[in-house]
Amino acid sequence: MTPDNTSFAYAAYTLAAIIYLAYALSLRIRARRLRERALALEASARPRSDRAEGA
Amino acid sequence: MTSGQPSVSPPIPSQRDPLLWVALLGIAAVYVRALAFTPIEARQGAAQKIMYIHATSAFIALYVAFVLMAIASALYLWLKDEKLDRVAESSAEVGLCFTTVVLATGPIWGKTIWGAWWTWDARLTATLFLWFIIVAYLLLRGAVEERGRRARYSAVLGILASFLVPFIHLSVYLFRTLHPMPILLKPSAPSLPNEMLVTFLFSFAAFTLLFLALLRTRYRMATLRDWVADREQERA
Repeated sequence: MTPDNTSFAYAAYTLAAIIYLAYALSLRIRARRLRERALALEASARPRSDRAEGA
Repeated sequence: MTSGQPSVSPPIPSQRDPLLWVALLGIAAVYVRALAFTPIEARQGAAQKIMYIHATSAFIALYVAFVLMAIASALYLWLKDEKLDRVAESSAEVGLCFTTVVLATGPIWGKTIWGAWWTWDARLTATLFLWFIIVAYLLLRGAVEERGRRARYSAVLGILASFLVPFIHLSVYLFRTLHPMPILLKPSAPSLPNEMLVTFLFSFAAFTLLFLALLRTRYRMATLRDWVADREQERA
């Protein structure tokens, strides 16, 4: 007789989705922070005349 | 070691990654196909469907991510190219994510079939050991500030960690274990009915795309991090 363990399958699929999405989200958040730091560094390194033109 | 003169404009990647979206759509399709359209195995019930995420994640983590980490680490020790160090680092971290899924979904499947969430058999224990070693690899990278030394130390650890991969693969042959034998990676034909095999291969393709998308995102992040570190060092 086939056992009824569908809830276990759904639990595993849900857990896997949570782990993958959480990792993808963590990459996105870390990348955004780095981007902000990089843009701040680039802006402060640019000569004043460039900054005025670019603004 | 630095990568020479850093570029003036930062290597900022695009915020929209089409490959990631294609991979996520593919995985959504795998979920639908596996849960709704693939037949239920008669003896194990629906829990057998955990295989489509558990085995594919294990396959990609062990045979793709950690092998890539080892190859890139070995090549780094030879060529001293920072790009190779970044590939190894990115592959290790994404592989850790896949191994986490393996270690999280395996016990759920095991509980339904073995009646226990966990057993200290060779394959499970070795996989858990590998997970801890990769965590140590990433902690080591965070602890060593000098870039050349960090890359060298972690390359050695990455190569040593990869020695566990063939051991994990062969553990079901070498030891008496509860874990089932391979159903695909074996000399004879796959022991899966066609419908299940198609779902498995479809799942493998989707998760491979996800691996590549995450690897690329993580690699670009590492490139930007090194650019920021170079700039900040120049200012200090």
